[in-house]
Amino acid sequence: MLYDISLRITYAYEVPASGGRHIVRVLPLSLPGRQRLIAGTVNFTPSPAERSDTVDFFANPAASIVYRSAHDRLVIRMQARVQLDAQPLSADFSPPLEGLAAEIDEILSVAPDAPHHFLGASPLLPADPTIAAYAASIDKPGMSVRQIAETICERIHRDFTYDGKATTVDTPPHEAFKIKRGVCQDFAHVMITALRSLGIPAGYVSGFLRTIPPPGKERLEGADAMHAWVRVWCGRAGGWLELDPTNNIFAGTDHIVVGHGRDYSDVAPVIGVLKSYGSHETEQAVDVIPLE
Amino acid sequence: MAKKQTSEAAKASRTSDDPVFGYRALPGIADEMVDIDGNVRPVWQHLLSTIGRMDETELANRFARADRYLRDAGVFYRAYGSKENSERNWPLSHIPVLIDESEWDNLSKGLIQRADLLEKLAADLYGPNRLVSDGVLPPSLIAANPQFLRPMVGITPADGHFLHFCSFEIGRGPDGNWWVLSDRTEAPSGAGFALENRVATTRAFSDLYAETHVHRLAGFFGAFRDMLQSRKRHPDDRIAVLTPGFANETYFEHAYIARYLGFMLLEGEDLTVVDDRVMVRTVAGLKPVGVLWRRLDAAFADPLELNQRSHIGTPGLVEALRAGSVTVVNAIGSGMLETRALLAFMPVICRQLLGQDLILPSIATWWCGHEPERDHVAANIEKMVIGPAYSTRPFFDDNGQSVLGSSLRDTAQHSVADWLKSDGGKLVGQEAVTLSTTPAWVNGKLTPRPMSLRVYVARTPNGWQVMPGGFARIGNGADAAAIAMQAGGSAADVWIVSNRPVERVTLLPQESDFIRTMPGSLPSRAADNLFWLGRYIERAEGALRILRAWNGRFAESADSEMPLLKNISDYLAALDIDTRQAVPDSLIANIDSALFSASNIRDRFSADGWLALNDLAKTVRKFQATVEVGDDATHAMTVLLRKLAGFAGLVHENMYRFTGWRFLSIGRYLERGLHMTRLLGHMSGEDAPDGAYDMLLEIGDSVMTHRRRYNVNTEALTVTDLLALDPLNPRSVLYQLNEIKTEVEQLPNAFGNGQMSSFYREAMRLHAGLAVMTPEAMNTDVYRRLEQELERFSDILAQTYLG
Repeated sequence: MLYDISLRITYAYEVPASGGRHIVRVLPLSLPGRQRLIAGTVNFTPSPAERSDTVDFFANPAASIVYRSAHDRLVIRMQARVQLDAQPLSADFSPPLEGLAAEIDEILSVAPDAPHHFLGASPLLPADPTIAAYAASIDKPGMSVRQIAETICERIHRDFTYDGKATTVDTPPHEAFKIKRGVCQDFAHVMITALRSLGIPAGYVSGFLRTIPPPGKERLEGADAMHAWVRVWCGRAGGWLELDPTNNIFAGTDHIVVGHGRDYSDVAPVIGVLKSYGSHETEQAVDVIPLE
Repeated sequence: MAKKQTSEAAKASRTSDDPVFGYRALPGIADEMVDIDGNVRPVWQHLLSTIGRMDETELANRFARADRYLRDAGVFYRAYGSKENSERNWPLSHIPVLIDESEWDNLSKGLIQRADLLEKLAADLYGPNRLVSDGVLPPSLIAANPQFLRPMVGITPADGHFLHFCSFEIGRGPDGNWWVLSDRTEAPSGAGFALENRVATTRAFSDLYAETHVHRLAGFFGAFRDMLQSRKRHPDDRIAVLTPGFANETYFEHAYIARYLGFMLLEGEDLTVVDDRVMVRTVAGLKPVGVLWRRLDAAFADPLELNQRSHIGTPGLVEALRAGSVTVVNAIGSGMLETRALLAFMPVICRQLLGQDLILPSIATWWCGHEPERDHVAANIEKMVIGPAYSTRPFFDDNGQSVLGSSLRDTAQHSVADWLKSDGGKLVGQEAVTLSTTPAWVNGKLTPRPMSLRVYVARTPNGWQVMPGGFARIGNGADAAAIAMQAGGSAADVWIVSNRPVERVTLLPQESDFIRTMPGSLPSRAADNLFWLGRYIERAEGALRILRAWNGRFAESADSEMPLLKNISDYLAALDIDTRQAVPDSLIANIDSALFSASNIRDRFSADGWLALNDLAKTVRKFQATVEVGDDATHAMTVLLRKLAGFAGLVHENMYRFTGWRFLSIGRYLERGLHMTRLLGHMSGEDAPDGAYDMLLEIGDSVMTHRRRYNVNTEALTVTDLLALDPLNPRSVLYQLNEIKTEVEQLPNAFGNGQMSSFYREAMRLHAGLAVMTPEAMNTDVYRRLEQELERFSDILAQTYLG
């Protein structure tokens, strides 16, 4: 699949900000065999006083921008053309849960993709006994790691209601879990917490979802803004597998990856420190247009 | 035969009763002063015999001298927990710990090897991670470590070194050998306190200190300072101590060490990053910073790339590190080296990275993430301390997170072995060691108390150097777990004793290199705090004067509805001051605000000034509980005014007349001008109540002057003349404006390209506007306008210098 993707994030400040510094992660990744960034740009209005483009620990591109003069809005525009390659779902090569720990121990690496980073608590995802109990009730003897992941994904999709008003970007997973409502971020956070409680490495994926459904298909939830889903490490042979609990599907050619991290805090599209007194309003507009 | 036995027993019992010579080591535990056979070590003999000759009174006097020094110097630590965080007196154990130079030299070799090892370990952990790929370190120990700061991976420090200042917690075991209990690399504290312990202890034993060849500490700090100086990339670069602020446990030390070494003391918000360079905001604009000695936890140093919840960091600092434009000591991320579980791997890491065996062993530690080690811990649980693997604190100082294996029992549901297995990777077992004891003076006699030693190693132009001394932590009971100061332990000086004279070094400038350097640029935040300190102090004085006058008159009439009293009460109510309270809440809040401002700039204050201000704050609270409205309150206000004048006097007499002083002064003049302007505007109208002018003169402390200068009874024009327009009356509004103008002229950037700055022009305009007025022309509208202009002036000052 070939896509043209555009994103516009607008911050409108009630009181003009006298300066600020932001890190922006919005550009799709190039992932050999899964997706290729053919061309992509990120622009800012007003034009920042400083800009530098780096790659963070988890290999996500990040633009760092600085403002030193007063401005009452910040507009971030991203445009990209991305090629996605269909990946036929392989057979389940994942080990049973009891065998996973040994396989993890065999990975003598702390490279960004190593499963070790995705096992323990992360900044937004402390261990949670309630979610752990939920996960334990799903895990049945003899299930493979992938079966467990798929089942948890299905259960969250079934037990939770998609509701854009129930939570905010700061809602911790145990609260979303209590009310069983939220958006893609909450679904992903709960699923990651559940998997980690069983000792299964799980990470957060941010990205875009195809906006216009293929003919005859329903429009997927979460297509009007940036989307989030989960990747699960299914052992040495199984590798990383992407699951979207918001829609209960494997992430495939409808899912364009922007960032990998342990939770939202690693891949938040905009992290900023602002010199301002007032509040601000944010608007996000996404278009994902298939070209073929 | 029988007779002889009796006499020997008598002798022994007499000696063991002796408060000094009766000292005995505890059975099975090594002691610093007495060796395994009960003999006093040679290095201690002089001290012991000297103390032994002193009677209890003399010792008490000597200890009191040390305590007085600490109190006068304002040495404190901050106690966490309980009801409120409070400053506590420094708990000095007056008997120093003496260590023989030759033993120390051996120890130093081990410490320097360890510093080298940790440097190489940091470079590997944040670099190629060969220890992981070679199977030496388990990857989860890094990936699940909260101290592992991922944004720092791949960043090489500007000067190539991760570590510049390390400390080690060491202890002596029952076999007499030293062990490393904990590595301190994040932001090691205590070196400044070690200096203060030294000064205080020598106050108690100046004679003993002079007679003993004790290695001096100053040379160590001098060499470290030289190394930091050499890390500047431009001559104009500043060096600063980066502190989390005055609420921190060891803030006193940050301020002390900054002053001692002549560095700026800065907080995260003082700094900004421009074009990848770290700059300090000063009243003279942005100035470059080349070296930061970080006393702030690394994760809080940059809210953008590290802990996003930090409010005390500098956005962009990591970016500057990436650009290699600043040296941060120690590198951000080096706290990871403190991880307790790493102690288990030190022997093998040392062989791998240095090709050597560890000279100085760590306390025996087993990480429970692997089966063989876990089994060993389970099998020997009675001899173990079990604690969190990722803890960065030694087991005896981790808020009770570690438990003695001997206290663990299997429960109905879980066995200890199950626990070790399920939580394995998160746990370590450590040999439950008994630390050595050292003599402390307890209840009138020398008593053995458990001790651990914090020692310091710094990078200098000639490589690593060990501080010849340290910071001994002494337990308050026989229990080694109570060594931490938060648990009631105390601190002692450490003397490294040579058998020949030692080199005397001082950090005071030598005659040969005398230069009169002017203080560096004043950070804007410090200027802001000084300005507001001036305002709060003056605001408190203004309130005290009015309240004294009000209570004096109320004491005479006992009628608060009397027009004059009612008039003043209304005036004060508008300022949130309630005359129904003898000591109004807002007065206390005001003095607390002054104290808060002063807390932020402890490094710019004499200890005397600080103590005076604290005394004022304490007294005003005490008065609020006891004093009643009326005569009682009049008296109380007089006492408070005197204390306030005491503080102001100390500041006035002792503060160097430079930029900081000017901001403090402008704050005071501005507030005094505002106070008098408001008061005149309120009380001098045509409808002023009876007695208003006399009261104004009293509040303005100008009764005598008025009597001398004007041969008439008080009336509107003379009072206006004296309190608003007299350029020689230090309480008049015009006087304040004149002083402000004079100070502003001396501020940085008052002139640019031969022109007055707009701020200086504003000060001139304010002064000139009032100077041309006549008493007849002054009325309520004029005062109100003036009040607004003064407020606006404060805003412009903030925009120009304090932002």
